[in-house]
Amino acid sequence: MSKASGSPNLLERSLPWLSIAAVVAAWEGAVRFHGIAPIYLPAPSSVLYYLWRMIADGSMAYNLGITLIRIFVGFALAAVTGILLGVLMGMSRNVARVADIWIAALYPLPKISLIPLLIIWVGTGEAYKIVISTISAFFPIVISTYAGIRQADSGLVKAAKDLGANARQIQLKVVIPSAIPSIFAGLHLGMGVAIVLVVAAEMIGGSSQGGMGWLLISSGQVMETEKVFASLIVLAVVGALIIKLQQWADRKVAPWVDHD
Amino acid sequence: MDVVVDQLTQIWAGRGGTEVVALDHFSHRFRSGRIACLLGPSGCGKSTLVQIVGGIEQATSGAVRIEDPQHRTVARPLGADSVMMWQNLNLFPWRSVVDNVAFGPEMQGMPKAERYARARALIASVGLRGFENHLPKQLSGGMRQRVALARALIMERPILLMDEPFAALDAQTKIVMQEELLRIFDETHKTILFVTHAIEEAILLGDEVVVMTARPGRIKEVIAIDLPRPRSLEMVNSKEFGALFDRAFHLIREEVMKTMAQQAAAEQSEGAAT
Repeated sequence: MSKASGSPNLLERSLPWLSIAAVVAAWEGAVRFHGIAPIYLPAPSSVLYYLWRMIADGSMAYNLGITLIRIFVGFALAAVTGILLGVLMGMSRNVARVADIWIAALYPLPKISLIPLLIIWVGTGEAYKIVISTISAFFPIVISTYAGIRQADSGLVKAAKDLGANARQIQLKVVIPSAIPSIFAGLHLGMGVAIVLVVAAEMIGGSSQGGMGWLLISSGQVMETEKVFASLIVLAVVGALIIKLQQWADRKVAPWVDHD
Repeated sequence: MDVVVDQLTQIWAGRGGTEVVALDHFSHRFRSGRIACLLGPSGCGKSTLVQIVGGIEQATSGAVRIEDPQHRTVARPLGADSVMMWQNLNLFPWRSVVDNVAFGPEMQGMPKAERYARARALIASVGLRGFENHLPKQLSGGMRQRVALARALIMERPILLMDEPFAALDAQTKIVMQEELLRIFDETHKTILFVTHAIEEAILLGDEVVVMTARPGRIKEVIAIDLPRPRSLEMVNSKEFGALFDRAFHLIREEVMKTMAQQAAAEQSEGAAT
């Protein structure tokens, strides 16, 4: 039987998983046999135990749910406003001129530095966390949308004109669809920063309003290192799932684009 | 419809304030219901010419008129009586085959059922039945050509402008597409301006071959092709075809040599400048 060089065999396919298993096993062994204090580095087995307990008592689902709602509400607001402004910038030179200077001034600002101001303005409630995730996701989305609109294939625009499309039809039927791959790239970037900023905001202004950031910081403050690790694992897995979900949505909405 | 090109000149702004003359006082009457092949070395302005005729580019000076059979100039804006088939096809990658073909009627506001019916009929006539819902990227090069052809034909414009549409195809697919075009021409008798740099293709398809000079593009010679219609690929082996080929070949060779000399001179002067 000949083996195609493109398709790895079972051993080759399980190699990445084996490497994770090996690191976890070494970690477990190091903690058990060298007596490392669990407040510095708890054993994977006890992290899993804590993770299980947090899932069982509902605290993980509660905090994760709150964080996800904040991320998605902020992201959705940023997507709607960012795409809208990006398209308007692409359609009107004057809108682009005005918006350009604001974006150039505000985009390089680390969004996390806005937290003190936002707390003064809107307090530490939901509005503050949603506003910070909206602001952070907004910029990559508007910039990518505008770039996609500007880079529309001039050949397609000429062809559409030749086939009788008027200026409005060219915008709606050619320029905007051809910007979709670029818009998706912006949405991916926006989602990434929205996750970061929501968790960070929960850590800083969160006090008692829950969320993964609050869970991390409150567990850390009382040296419940197992809970810190359990929360990190959940954040990593959920982050990966969100990325997969976005890629799936890309393929559904834009099957003509060569994804990945 | 005749396409009357009168003293057409096109000048591009080149590097460092220089001017590139793409077309230089080009005049010709492209006769109604005939295929005219524009043959010339790369950069001789033949693509520019069809784009001006199609109303896509603006000429620096000169005029293009479309005349009806009674030799009255039509009042419609340039481009309203013609449709273009592009070198790189310019299919809309996000639209299925049927939505690509139905694009023109959709822009005119034709109801969905009606434009789909017309698009489906045309798709079937170019041999793509069953591929209506495929995306362009799922098709082969030859099939994409057929989509582009159907998308142009659905416009029902009397003038078809073709800018090296078959240049990127492999030899076999090219032959099939040439026969397809000949079949469509025999059925519809459109006025066709066909840009090519392939001598054989120009003679096989054309009623006349307009040989153009190297830049700036002027008419070097117009060769009348009196081979009978319907044309077929077997004619390539005939004595008449061979004689026409030789004539065109010698004209083109002179121009290609001239282009090469120009390029060499340009490179030398550039080298001297640096």
